[in-house]
Amino acid sequence: MTYLTSAEVSEAMADIGPVEAIRRNRVQVTTTPGRIRAALRSATSRLQCDHLVQIATIDTGHEFELFYLLTGAHRTVLSIRTLLPRDRPKIRSVHDLLPPAGIYERQIHDLLGITFDGHPNLGRIILNEDWPEGEFPLRKDWKMDPAKSYGGAPEEVR
Amino acid sequence: MDPLVAVVYALVFPGLLFLFAYALFLQFVDRKVTARLQNRVGPPWWQPFADLVKLLSKEDITPENVDHRAMRVIPLLAFAAVATAFLYVPVLGPSPFAFQGDLIVVLYLLTLPTILLFLLGWLSRNIFGTIGGVRAATQLFIYEVPFFLALLGPAIAAGVWSISGIVEWQRANLWSIVFQPIGFVVALIGLQAKLERTPFDIPEAETEIVAGPWTELTGPKLAVMRLSIDMALVVGASLVAALFLGGPSVAGTDFVGAAIGFGMFLAKTLAILFLLTAIRAAMGRIRIDQLNRFGWTYMAGAALLQMFLVLLLPQVVAG
Amino acid sequence: MSEVLIPIGPQHPALKEPVSFRVIAEGELIKRLELDISYNHRGIEKAAESRDFVKVVPLLERVCGICSHSHATAFVKGIEEVMGLTVPRRAQYLRTVIGELERMHSHLLWLGVAAHEIGFNTLFMWTWRDREIVQDVLEELTGNRVNYGMNEIGGVRRDVSEALIARTLIRLKPLHGRFTKYAEIIEGERTIRVRFKGIGRLSREEALRYGTVGPTARASSVDYDIRKDDPYAAYEEIPFKIVTDDAGDVLGRTRVRIGELEESVRITEYALRNLPAGSLKVTSPRVAPKADVVSRYEAPRGELVHYIRTSGGDHVERLDIRTPTLANWTSVAASLPGNHIADIPVVVAAIDPCLSCTSRITIIDSGTDETSVMTWDELRAHGRKFYRGREDR
Repeated sequence: MTYLTSAEVSEAMADIGPVEAIRRNRVQVTTTPGRIRAALRSATSRLQCDHLVQIATIDTGHEFELFYLLTGAHRTVLSIRTLLPRDRPKIRSVHDLLPPAGIYERQIHDLLGITFDGHPNLGRIILNEDWPEGEFPLRKDWKMDPAKSYGGAPEEVR
Repeated sequence: MDPLVAVVYALVFPGLLFLFAYALFLQFVDRKVTARLQNRVGPPWWQPFADLVKLLSKEDITPENVDHRAMRVIPLLAFAAVATAFLYVPVLGPSPFAFQGDLIVVLYLLTLPTILLFLLGWLSRNIFGTIGGVRAATQLFIYEVPFFLALLGPAIAAGVWSISGIVEWQRANLWSIVFQPIGFVVALIGLQAKLERTPFDIPEAETEIVAGPWTELTGPKLAVMRLSIDMALVVGASLVAALFLGGPSVAGTDFVGAAIGFGMFLAKTLAILFLLTAIRAAMGRIRIDQLNRFGWTYMAGAALLQMFLVLLLPQVVAG
Repeated sequence: MSEVLIPIGPQHPALKEPVSFRVIAEGELIKRLELDISYNHRGIEKAAESRDFVKVVPLLERVCGICSHSHATAFVKGIEEVMGLTVPRRAQYLRTVIGELERMHSHLLWLGVAAHEIGFNTLFMWTWRDREIVQDVLEELTGNRVNYGMNEIGGVRRDVSEALIARTLIRLKPLHGRFTKYAEIIEGERTIRVRFKGIGRLSREEALRYGTVGPTARASSVDYDIRKDDPYAAYEEIPFKIVTDDAGDVLGRTRVRIGELEESVRITEYALRNLPAGSLKVTSPRVAPKADVVSRYEAPRGELVHYIRTSGGDHVERLDIRTPTLANWTSVAASLPGNHIADIPVVVAAIDPCLSCTSRITIIDSGTDETSVMTWDELRAHGRKFYRGREDR
């Protein structure tokens, strides 16, 4: 199994950002939100990545971290990392470059409230249709408000 | 015919009551054989009767805006049509109600349940019912022509239009199946399609449209409609047995003769049932457009070929 | 007939789990599809953040009934990597055995369900009868038919005795012949060919583009299989083949799954016969250092990914799960419009959806207003054009 080396990745991602090898089969590139699309284009064209594995998200408390995980015939996981500020969690959608991102982005929007510009439809997906607007349950600072209704059948008074 | 005998014949044996009991018995055989083929145990012999009683005692839930009277009457009409058709089918010997042209009447009466099923689906105002009803009607158009052609073959060969007459003719000559094997196969396939059994259970495809036209039927309505289809199985099997396998062919009209005839009737209808059950267990369901292609190329083609041979053969033999 | 809206679900005989498809059809042809799958969402990812590692393992087992071992193992091996633990070989082999038995019972279930979707109940009954053999084995080995509770951080919880291994091998023996029979049936039986062949076809390029995984992708000649690509448990030591097919349609996916059944039974037997001696687990520390780990597992339905971040305590800071069914839905949405209503259960079933795992998908398509009749090739092209048209907006 010939994995991608961090040298090869650095070369392909020269103008994208710093590269580090996490494991023998995982290489990570860190970049800014604005250069994500360029990074993905490099990954698919120059590094033969043909499969989007996941768009992982983490709310660290002071910012959102996004990881675009890709892989290809070289069986290495290429992880493209970026940070989004909490007060402005917006990033351009990549569903046109990688179709599966359509569903993944929609789910992330539902749970974390990150907006993906250019996505055709960011409607409700994983939360029930009568979940209140603006509540993003996977955020670290989200607390369930006992006074609010989160959808579903109303509680019956016995 | 003595009116009392006629009434007993029509209502008890071999009329309505016998038809009812035999329909339930054939349903049991069908389910038991299918189960054994699928490596299962299968139901006990009284299961179809128990199911019927249970359904009759259940609550009748009808949607609000449908035509209640029509929904109530239609299953009864289907029941009546099938029961009447059975009067002309020879069971002990020639039917006492036989007349020239009763074959056509029986074929017509057997078409009624399908059309009534379509009506039920349409009237139930349920999307699954509508689609199922339309599929039932579409299926009817596809298999009906080859089915009729196949069943008219023995009539043409015998030169009579009465089922009992055809049975008599077969007693004097050979069973129709000998010269019309293609017609027999087409008739069996047509019967399977008429009864909407796999691979032709397209109108009630459970995994696609819930239950098709049966979706809104509950309790007594469902019981009567299901019973009508079960009875249609008996009538259809007896019809095919009479036209192709010689029916209850007997030498005399005395008691022994009638008993032998009855025994042969049972044996032949059971044999046809086994064939239909085997087809049902061994196959999956096809799509309506695939049925369309299959029906109009293979079934219609085979039926036409058979008809051609039936018309041609006497000329060849004579000439 | 003008356009009609057919609701399929959330309660429907074709569905094993609640999901809502709203199919807009004209006659029998599907024009567009609206999916809503939020019925099984239980907030497991959030719940995992407030429990320590030991409690998360049984929580994850209940993400899904059919792939419970997959989720538990994916998580456990991720945490073990973070903590730097070396799990004993015996435990790795046992994890493999349970994993492959799970794959077998899942594929057998799928085969029965696929047959049932087309009304072929005989095959349904036979495959589920064989599935009972696998379930009995699982029950003897782990004490349960689903949700096995075998894994813990550092190893496995239960051992198997020599006598049990011998009994299991005897039980598994007849399966070889049965799987060969199923392979013959799907090639020869006419209604299966007619309902499966050519339906839901995805080319290799489309399979990769839409992000499909698992048997669905392998049926389109994509040879990604985590057991070979990113090996875990005992897969590096056990010889086995990856099953691929080049048909790309539902029949191809059926062939792949039956092939995988044959391979699974061989892997299980090899692992049981060559089970290394040794301990079952190593003790694990209570806390884990700060780390990020991507843990991938080949679940019966495809590639399962757990992205785990630990931050020095005994809780995970984040557990992000991407299930294989989520990855496969894009291909369903792309391939269904233009097909017949009758093909919906078949195409959906072909990706082997596990909605409990997923419970998060919705794709809205809006079609064109064309009502012409199309040939099969045109239908496929229509599907692709129509999906591409959506992207351009």
